[in-house]
Amino acid sequence: MLVLTRKVGEGIVIGEDIVVRVMECKDGRIRLGIEAPRDKKIYREEVYERICLENREASQWDLQKLDALNAILPSKGSR
Amino acid sequence: MGFAEVGCIECHSSQQRESVMKTLHTGFGEITYDPDKVIRFPEGLIGFEHLRKFIVMPVKKDDVLFCIQSVEEAHVAFLLINPCLFFPDYQVRPASGDLEKLDITEDDSYFVMTTITFHKDKTASLNLLAPVIYTPRTDRAVQVVLEGSGYSTRTPLPKVE
Repeated sequence: MLVLTRKVGEGIVIGEDIVVRVMECKDGRIRLGIEAPRDKKIYREEVYERICLENREASQWDLQKLDALNAILPSKGSR
Repeated sequence: MGFAEVGCIECHSSQQRESVMKTLHTGFGEITYDPDKVIRFPEGLIGFEHLRKFIVMPVKKDDVLFCIQSVEEAHVAFLLINPCLFFPDYQVRPASGDLEKLDITEDDSYFVMTTITFHKDKTASLNLLAPVIYTPRTDRAVQVVLEGSGYSTRTPLPKVE
């Protein structure tokens, strides 16, 4: 892992189109500003990992579970 | 069970269309599909970024529950449901970046669905934090993350007996 030291207001450039800047450092928290093209997906790491895990688990199902789910689903007409 | 119906739908469409049908050997059996009628996830689902093409199969008659089956990895399939059945106030609008990925404008219609996860204790949950937005006009879908919304990846459903 590349490790760099930066002061508030300083930034790093990643590739041609991403800039990460240290905006504020207070009480052990660091606020980062990120400039990147809109098609670059940016997530907090723990959020990204939680969704990866959930998607993996959501891909584990079988027809028995589906039948059980069908049984409890409200029908459209009853909404 | 929904898959028998799916088979009928697929057979019916194959009679009307001339394109070459393809066959997929999934954990649920053999599925015949039209490669021109897949939906595309330009970015895949999160953690499944390499899977871009899925076939959609209704698994309940009244169109609230769907199975999306990867055509690239036969063992990967997700169940998607309209979360408003359980959470009527749940509303998601595509951000401007999402509109681009879906290749639509704000005037196009879209559907919001969430994945369902089954748990060992026989409960099921919805991932309201990261719903899937699908647009019928372009047959594209994206999974979006509602950061800061307070929604959970595991919002419980009523118990599945």
